Amino acid sequence: MMRSLLRAIGERELLLAAALVAAVAVFSVLSPYFMTASNLVTVLRNCNELFLIGLGMTLVLGIGGVDVSVGVVMGLAAIAVGRLLQADAGALAAGLAGPLAGGLIGLLTASVVVLGRIPAIVATLGLFGVYRAAVFLALGGAWLSGLPTDLTQVLGASVFGLPAALPVVVLAYLLVFVAIRYTPFGLYVLAAGNSEAKARLSGIAVRKVQFAAYVVSGLCCGLAATFYIATYRNVAMTVGGTLALEAIAAVIIGGTSILGGRMSLLGTAFGVLLLRILQNGLLLVGVPSLWQPVVTGLLLLAVLGTEAATGRLNLAAASRHLRLPSRSGAAA
Amino acid sequence: MSGRASLTLPILAVLWIVVVAGLAILQPSAMALSTLTTVLQFSTLLALVSLGQALVILGGGAGIDLSVGGTVSLAATIAMLLARAGMAPALVPVVCLLAGTALGLLNGLLVTRLRLLPLIATLGTFYVYSGTAIAITGGSAIGGVPAFLLPWGRGTIAGFPLPFLTLALPLFVLAGIMLQATAWGRWIYAFGFNERSARLTGIPVDLARLLAYAFSGLMAGLSALVSLAWLGSARPDVGHNLELTSLTAVMLGGVAIFGGRGGVAGVLAAVLLLVTLQTGLLQLNVNTIWQVGIVGALLIVVLLIDTIRMIRRPA
Repeated sequence: MMRSLLRAIGERELLLAAALVAAVAVFSVLSPYFMTASNLVTVLRNCNELFLIGLGMTLVLGIGGVDVSVGVVMGLAAIAVGRLLQADAGALAAGLAGPLAGGLIGLLTASVVVLGRIPAIVATLGLFGVYRAAVFLALGGAWLSGLPTDLTQVLGASVFGLPAALPVVVLAYLLVFVAIRYTPFGLYVLAAGNSEAKARLSGIAVRKVQFAAYVVSGLCCGLAATFYIATYRNVAMTVGGTLALEAIAAVIIGGTSILGGRMSLLGTAFGVLLLRILQNGLLLVGVPSLWQPVVTGLLLLAVLGTEAATGRLNLAAASRHLRLPSRSGAAA
Repeated sequence: MSGRASLTLPILAVLWIVVVAGLAILQPSAMALSTLTTVLQFSTLLALVSLGQALVILGGGAGIDLSVGGTVSLAATIAMLLARAGMAPALVPVVCLLAGTALGLLNGLLVTRLRLLPLIATLGTFYVYSGTAIAITGGSAIGGVPAFLLPWGRGTIAGFPLPFLTLALPLFVLAGIMLQATAWGRWIYAFGFNERSARLTGIPVDLARLLAYAFSGLMAGLSALVSLAWLGSARPDVGHNLELTSLTAVMLGGVAIFGGRGGVAGVLAAVLLLVTLQTGLLQLNVNTIWQVGIVGALLIVVLLIDTIRMIRRPA
């Protein structure tokens, strides 16, 4: 019973849970403010956008792609939400405008990457520049600030001490979870990520799967934009600058492979939580927030380095193992 | 291969003439020697970084160096922080180059030793390098560049900036000769084109690739030095957007994203075209954020053209 439960959750997830407990313990000792209810709620609240973007990023990395433009996509969608709020469109219309705008931008990203057959990193870096200019155009050079509180009242409300946003985030998680666990889509994603050629030979419409992953990622960024506006009620020119790194780092920390073919949604959730707890804890301990990208980058490299050292990511080692009859079972 | 390579330079030249003509019509006052000097000054920074980027991408294996901008910023700030802490001014150039090379070497080790995917390894180091540069300076520029650097950094001969004449141009010529006429150069093409065959032939692929990343770091260090000598201060964001612009220059210059094809002459031409375009937009009072958008769009268009060519004429 215990063993089957362990297998269902997985080593990586257990390791992350342990790391989370350790981080919480360390920061509670180092700072008296860390373990307060208001601080923990703030940490959880700060996870919303990153977690939603992480859901999409898990799929994108799962198919063997990458998207460094997600932060700016969220920014663009946030402008759409903000403009609707300014026009008194109401919380529902404005809230739905986020995913809609995100989905449309996702369509564009998917078209450029998948239909244009451009390596994802270069294509999304180029799109990052284009979207940045679009943010500037949409903002007209000035900040979008002091937005109406319609959305904030809905998503910022708390029910029994828990943020009302929680059900929406959980629902988004369950939707993606069911899609990759209980429909063929998940298998297609993993197959395409493992080997595009082999997936195609097995009759999977690889390009459609890739296309869908980028569109879903756009939708997730758009939903994140709705939460972003509900919380901050402003959009600056530099919106979403380091979100892409944080999302990629959280997803990789969670055990999804950068090479594709392996993903873990629960791991992504833990990765996001760990990252946000680290950032919050370091801030409380007195490390200036300017160091946050450095910490995130180092954490990403450390996790990748450990994986490489233990042979999980090492392609050369993996292929060597394949040649040894005794290890071939393990490698496969 | 030959079709694209032979066409790259003429196409870039035509585009350049179009840009210059457009600028001459829209803003006649921009047609001055000082504009040429400005263009070449900016070009020097981008050209050096793009040269390193070009070698990394030519070497294949999904090679890419996204950390170049962070390396430029960090090398410049480290050198000036040390100088302010009492290091001999004469050592500033040395520290720039050493810091750049060390940061590039770290990228190379991550890629060749740990076998991390270059895009994710250098994405990580990009944030580490650029974040560190901003964090250790608190985001503000550090002045007080040694005076002996300024005459070189700001000097010109007949409108041509000295750093361009003494550094960028000779390095491109040397790199061109190296790629065409030395074993190391041919090796880069060989393992960029087909890594497996190159390994079977006995080429030290990992060593050469490690050196390519170190070289990219060295070029970023040189670029940092030029920025110090030209601007007179170390700005922690001086390398901002260089990863995007250098990638665009390399792709525009006819280097194949998968490696093994292309040369450095096209890269230099693409750098000049890009910087002329950016300077022109600046002269027309177009906000700099548009430059990022245009460069990004150019990058995508160039790669789309590549894709269309591949579909229409399968290899």
